Amino acid sequence: MQGRLSAWLVKHGLVHRSLGFDYQGVETLQIKPEDWHSIAVISYVYGYNYLRSQCAYDVAPGGLLASVYHLTRIEYGVDQPEEVCIKVFAPRINPRIPSVFWIWKSADFQERESYDMLGISYDNHPRLKRILMPESWIGWPLRKDYIAPKFYEIQDAH
Amino acid sequence: MAAMAATSFSLLGLLGGNGKNVARRRRIAAAATPEEAQVTEEVQEEKQPEEPKVKNQKRMPEKRVEPQLMAQSKNMGREYGGDWLSSVTRHVRIYAAYIDPVTHAFDQTQMDKLTIILDPQNEFNWNDDTCNMVYTYFQELVDHYEGAPLTEYTLRLIGSDVEHYIRKLLYDGEITYNMNARQLNFSMGKPRVIFNANDESQIQGIMPQ
Repeated sequence: MQGRLSAWLVKHGLVHRSLGFDYQGVETLQIKPEDWHSIAVISYVYGYNYLRSQCAYDVAPGGLLASVYHLTRIEYGVDQPEEVCIKVFAPRINPRIPSVFWIWKSADFQERESYDMLGISYDNHPRLKRILMPESWIGWPLRKDYIAPKFYEIQDAH
Repeated sequence: MAAMAATSFSLLGLLGGNGKNVARRRRIAAAATPEEAQVTEEVQEEKQPEEPKVKNQKRMPEKRVEPQLMAQSKNMGREYGGDWLSSVTRHVRIYAAYIDPVTHAFDQTQMDKLTIILDPQNEFNWNDDTCNMVYTYFQELVDHYEGAPLTEYTLRLIGSDVEHYIRKLLYDGEITYNMNARQLNFSMGKPRVIFNANDESQIQGIMPQ
């Protein structure tokens, strides 16, 4: 079972791996970090002009980190726009993924949040710094091996 | 980044290891109004990660904080960022600044000093011994984090440890809640019947078998 974008990428000789379809029938592709920048440009040219969502998660303890992009093709007169979900996996040690900020500007804060929470460093992002946590924070809070510091908080005030 | 590793050392290594910390100079200046439990202490924090510890030891004796009669509030304006390095929790306020104990002038140019304000809301009953225990512990922590970057994160680690220590003092019965405090919400847990959990004789009579 192959989706439209996957078939199109195969036709043009671009390396990817199909991860099937999610519950809404949206095609999911896996792309290597080193291919991601060129494939992002190609998908923009193909017509995915809207980055609907960008998020990141920690796949497994000690495993890979994933950065997920939901792309949509917005056109006039279309009520069922074409969608695709792209996952880019990066190793836990020194995770580097090319930024798509210069293609879809809406990736700005999303990638900063992914950086803040999981420590994925997005190459070529214009201002990659912490957005939720204080700037002097140490550690990546949403990684599965993160240990929260035992900061004092008022927990049992009455 | 090598300096950051210093924050992850265990505390035990410090407490057991070097007894020289006791000899370190410490000055405690009581606040102007003795009915407040607000005592200001200035300590030096040497935070040059690249310098070896031997140099700190040599430099220690002649380094004293003089009482600064003409201290003014400096570097607090918007042009300096409008905020200051601090760790503020309910019972412990740590500022990377010199605070004059009398005039409360807040001199942020002297960021080599840490000032702790203990229990400004007066929630606990303090005496000199318990205050000094907290200050000694604070001094140990500052020595322990020597070499760590002076950031809010480090200050908050120190402040949290001091808070946990205060909680331990409370649970051990060294300090008690001040029942005349302005607000009584028992922020470290409701008062207990067993005053000192370390004292076996108190537990014997009370605890059901």
